[in-house]
Amino acid sequence: MWLPHWPITRLNRSVSASPDRPLVTVEAVRGVRHLVAVGEHGEAQGLRPGQTLTDARAVCPTLVPLDADPAADEAALGRLAAWCERYTPMAGADPPDGLWLDITGCTAVFATEAELVQDLSTRLERSAILCRSAVAGTTGAAWALAHTGADRVVLPPREEKTALADLPIASLRLDAGTVAGLRRLGLRTVRDLLRIPRAQITARFGAMPVLRLDQALGAIEEAIDWPHPPIEWHERLAFAEPIGTSEDLARSLSLLAEQLCRCLAEQEKGAQRIVARFFRVDDVVPQIVVSTALPVRDPAYLTKLLREKLDTVDPGFGIEVIAMEAETVAPLKSAQAQLADVAAQGAADRLTGVVDTLTNRLGSDRVFRVVPFASHVPERAVRRVPPLPLKQPSWVDDPAAPRPIRLLHRPEEIEVIAPVPDDPPIRFRWRGASHRVRASAGPERIAAEWWRGKQSGRRPETDLIRDYYRVEDSDGARFWIFRAGLHAEDRMPRWYLHGLFG
Amino acid sequence: MGRFSRPKALPAHLAGLRGPAKSPGALLPFGDPRLDSCLGGGLALGQLHEIGAAGLDAETAALSTGFIAALLARIVPSRPVFWIGPESDLHPPGLLPYGFDPNRLVLVHPAKDVETLAAMEVTLREGVAAAVVGEVAQFDRTASRRLQLACLRHGSTAFVLRRWLHGHRTADREASVAVTRWHLTPVPSVKDGKEPGRPRWHVALTHARSGRPGEWIMEASDDATHPLRVVAALADHAPEPQRLRLAG
Repeated sequence: MWLPHWPITRLNRSVSASPDRPLVTVEAVRGVRHLVAVGEHGEAQGLRPGQTLTDARAVCPTLVPLDADPAADEAALGRLAAWCERYTPMAGADPPDGLWLDITGCTAVFATEAELVQDLSTRLERSAILCRSAVAGTTGAAWALAHTGADRVVLPPREEKTALADLPIASLRLDAGTVAGLRRLGLRTVRDLLRIPRAQITARFGAMPVLRLDQALGAIEEAIDWPHPPIEWHERLAFAEPIGTSEDLARSLSLLAEQLCRCLAEQEKGAQRIVARFFRVDDVVPQIVVSTALPVRDPAYLTKLLREKLDTVDPGFGIEVIAMEAETVAPLKSAQAQLADVAAQGAADRLTGVVDTLTNRLGSDRVFRVVPFASHVPERAVRRVPPLPLKQPSWVDDPAAPRPIRLLHRPEEIEVIAPVPDDPPIRFRWRGASHRVRASAGPERIAAEWWRGKQSGRRPETDLIRDYYRVEDSDGARFWIFRAGLHAEDRMPRWYLHGLFG
Repeated sequence: MGRFSRPKALPAHLAGLRGPAKSPGALLPFGDPRLDSCLGGGLALGQLHEIGAAGLDAETAALSTGFIAALLARIVPSRPVFWIGPESDLHPPGLLPYGFDPNRLVLVHPAKDVETLAAMEVTLREGVAAAVVGEVAQFDRTASRRLQLACLRHGSTAFVLRRWLHGHRTADREASVAVTRWHLTPVPSVKDGKEPGRPRWHVALTHARSGRPGEWIMEASDDATHPLRVVAALADHAPEPQRLRLAG
């Protein structure tokens, strides 16, 4: 589908323009401002892309120049593509001004492809978006027809060759230089190009013309980069009338979850990440994502998780289509309830339930377990792992090297009075309070892991040798402090507080 | 439910509110009559307990963590423990000396107190955890009642650890409905040469439903069944008659 004058269309939706005050976008090239995009009205006034702004002003003094913003154009195109996913799960942007929709087998709601295209075009026109669309068996043919042929053509299968023969060469998605070169040889239409031996074209213009020709005629499959790659586990529900109440939405979700779980059950799979997309009447597509610690295919459970997030979905003027996808699936054997396991299974299920509820409410990085990691550096001695499945690593408690119960994220510098060279401090000051050291144990020397991060310039001081002391102040509070580095001639080593004992 | 069926159904409904009659004697004894007698035999399981600390420890929560870890080590060791709080400075290897297995830990880091309390309630409701520990600064009566109710119905034990973020101390302490409230203060240990000895706490039981307040000096011990040992009883608000007889 081709959206002619897309940048102008986009701007027109936010800035009002009239036929006698055409919008144009401009871009400075080497200090001279050139027109980049010109709308319908502008073309009617004789404006052309590539003109300098001064020339354009001479032709049409009332024009409204705006800075070109390709990034915003592309983002808006992406949003439009997402909106188009109501027709097919495979809809993607084709920057700068096109959209791809793979509507293979998507005519369940619309009786024919022509009706689907009709519906799509009407809706876009209603929201003042110019569009030219074509349906064909190959991407190349569809592009060529949309850009040069009649609007809303549906090309029957295997007729690409006849349909394209009379179209200009520019319709083959070739760059301007190649097109100009071919023209100079007197090749104007696709038919002309087809007559020339392929080897000669390749020798002269590279592989592109032949490749595009093959793509248009269906000799070569073209892969399109879909924003949401097609997923096998996909269910959708379209409504005759847009729905908006939360009860309706919840019911639809449970319906979709049931369908999805039925498909998953057939292949003994379970979902770990479910995305539900809500296609609103306007071009906003809110979505909710839930993830589970273990694969599941219990529709009631999935519905419960999805429902918790349902209040984040703003139905706007109504929702027309809901799509649900299982983005991540994993094998899940059908449950075999054995009498002895029932109690244990019940507890495990409830644990999974708590973990999933908390994870979806707070975020996946906020619920975890910890496992020991082989590192002497205290802050690296523990690793976070997902809470499920359960692991049972062994923890080693070394009475000779006790570890604090609270470990600060990063050691905090303290002011100390300490005898040199390697005695623990007599006094130190932390967070504004002074502590007199009553008893101390240590040092426990922990050296830096020399194999880590040496390339990245100077290491922080705390990465050098650390001499840890366990000290108790006069109140009985216990701290884990260390001296970073050794005493040197020219400077005193700094001290840090790293943790607290219970 | 019809209007006239209500009187009959009400007692059953009330019984439901009170929760299933969980073995009323589910207690965790400290193993010292001086302390256990104040608690009516031991720490009541399946209930809400509140633990706070004085001074520096109200921010760092190191003492109270050790105290709770020693208790947790003995509460249904086969089941997980959820530790919920916005700070992620809990260092699991430090729990080992208290006999607590870090493999039981599920750590949860909500951003706010409200989320912490909600997460605690969700977890308690499933009844799958042996205990749920929540670190909160603000804790009002309503929140505590909800937690206590969730404990009673589903059998998990809850500990609320009162902790202020550094520099965010707030004065108010609205009384909660926790069955026990504890207040810990560090006490200098008995030195082992120049080195610090076993950690000691001044433990004040400031509130005990079905018991009486008291204060003790306690110390961590190697005893696997009773990892906390009473070193000295400082105050025991024992009933009047006994004291009269002593004076007698």
